[in-house]
Parts: sequence; structure tokens; C-alpha cells
Amino acid sequence: MFWSESIVAMLKRHDVRMIAYLPDTIVHRVVSLIESDPFFERIPVAREEECVGILAGAYLGGMRGAMFAQNSGLGNCVNALASLAVPWQIPMLLFLGQRGELGEFNVSQVGMGQATRPILDALRIPHVTPTRPEEVEGLVSDGIKLAYDTRTPVGFILSRQLTGGKNE
Amino acid sequence: MSKITRAQATKLLLTKITDQPILGGIGGPTYDLYGAGDRDRNLYTWGSMGQISSMGLGLAMARPDLKVIVLDGDGSLLMNLGSLATIARKAPPNLVHIVWDDEVYETTGRQPTHTRAGTDLAGIARAAGIRKATIVDEEVGFTQTVDRALAEPGPWFIAVKVIPEKGTARPPRDPIFFKYRFMRAIEKPR
Repeated sequence: MFWSESIVAMLKRHDVRMIAYLPDTIVHRVVSLIESDPFFERIPVAREEECVGILAGAYLGGMRGAMFAQNSGLGNCVNALASLAVPWQIPMLLFLGQRGELGEFNVSQVGMGQATRPILDALRIPHVTPTRPEEVEGLVSDGIKLAYDTRTPVGFILSRQLTGGKNE
Repeated sequence: MSKITRAQATKLLLTKITDQPILGGIGGPTYDLYGAGDRDRNLYTWGSMGQISSMGLGLAMARPDLKVIVLDGDGSLLMNLGSLATIARKAPPNLVHIVWDDEVYETTGRQPTHTRAGTDLAGIARAAGIRKATIVDEEVGFTQTVDRALAEPGPWFIAVKVIPEKGTARPPRDPIFFKYRFMRAIEKPR
């Protein structure tokens, strides 16, 4: 199975239906599968911070949800995560296409590439970086369990090693 | 020129509400919602300024069986104008987005917001693609618009010009308690 198919399979197995996203080259490989699957409720946003509010609202209504965006979008989400998702103990899955590490061609991506994990750590949001397709199923499944059983956001950093990243 | 306060309008709104969930945005909207009448289907917030419109969209999309009422503020909405375009794109018929527009940041000392200088939030909502977007500034217009919004499919956007006034009450700052109370109140029977 492709890594993207494994993520979709795990979302469905764990009944994660609400998908809020901002298009991005890397996460598009998952979002394109989600867009053609009526299992999911899809909300494209204008700015990533909206995802946090949308997923919180969906959770209050009994629907589990995930966000898909480039890691730069995590920077746009910080206050919403810090003042809503974390203190309210609202679980949500943050799938972040990782830019700005080995192989990066755009200097403007490097800052958030370096800041992604420290930001999640500072917010006490657990995160994992799968690098091989065969580990995606287990890590995503365990991450979902952690999120919903202990009521916390969880980050999934989609590395270049896993996805092939973006090249130019 | 507005002829009604946020607290008066919130009380009027609650006389029309039956079982609809209401999400209160940070500051005045939350304070006056609590002051107008605490109920299990009220949710109060104290942070994430601007996110209440997005929370309303998420709840409305997750629960098409509920008519979701959002109480926003002008300062808050100005932080998340993009959410109006997102709401327009999904166009949930069960979302009623009310914005108390007092033209100031009341909580921080009544500094003017952009709406004081002429920014038209209902105009922005309409231009974003929300067709049922309107502005009212007195009791009769507000009541009639709320009646329509509760009866007819939306999404609705209602900007209410209100006289600046301090929030009338303070709910206990206990988000976890209110989260569970709200979730249980609107939970689908299994």
C-alpha cells in the first residue's frame, strides 16, 4: 500500500470523518484520495488556523477530524492550538507535509522546517515522523489511539523520506 | 446608529431559541450569553480569538440535524475574515452567524475597530458568497431577522450594530466542564 493509502485506511478504521485542509503538494497525495471518498466530510480552508476551530466544533458534535496542511501552516495555528485544542483537551490529528529539511531548495521553507517540532513540543503536542511506508499504518493507528483515548492533538510529520517531498 | 445593546439583543435572541446550540465568542458575546441565561446548550470561550465562526462551521457540518447559532464580535471576526469565504464555499444551511458589532475592542478598553472607520461586515460576508447576509441596528429588525434565520435555510450572516457596553456577567472559566456539558446536551441518542 502507498503511504497515502495507509493514512486513509487508518482514518476510516478509526472513524475520523471531518477533514479540514489547505492544499499543498505533499498532502495532496492523501487529500486527493479523500476528495473522491464519500466517507469523508471535507472542508477546504482559506488559512490553516480555521482547521483548529472547525475540528474542535466537529468534535463537540461527536465527529472526529484531521487537518492536512504544509508545516508552514502549523505556524498559523499556534494560538488556536494553545488556547483551544490543548486546554480544552480536544483531540485532533495534524498531518503536516514537512518542508525545509534535507533536500529543500527554497530558503523560505527552512525556518518552519526547523521550528515544526519545537513548536509541537512547546505546546506539549505529541508527534511522530514516519519515514517508511510500512510503518505508517502502525504509527498512525497508535497516534489516533493516543489522541482520542487521552484527548490531545497529535502531530504526524510527513517527511521527505516517506513522501519524496517536493522537488524543483 | 445603533439603538440596542448586545445584552438586550442576546436576551431577545434567547426568547426565540428552543434547543439550538449557541457558541459564544471571546469577550462580550460569551459574557452576555451567560448573563442572558445559562443553559446546557450554551458554549462559552475565553481564547482563540476569531475561531468561533470556524467552530460553528465545524459543528454545523458535523451535525446537520442541529441549527447552530454563533455569537461573534466585530474585532474577532476581523481576525478570521477568511472563514466567511470558507463558510460560503460549504454553505451549511443550518448555520446562523450573528456578529455583535459595537465598533470597539470592548474588553481591552474600547479602542475602535475597523468597523468604526466604515468596514461593512455584512458587505464582506455577501461578497464572500453568503447570500443571506444582512445588517440590523434595532430591536424589531433584529427580531424579524432572527425569526427568518431560525425558520429558513442558511447559511445566515447577521451583523447587529450594538451600543458599546461592558459584558454583563462572567461564566466560571472552566472550559472542560462546559465542554462536557455541551457535548452531552447535544449528543445524538444511540
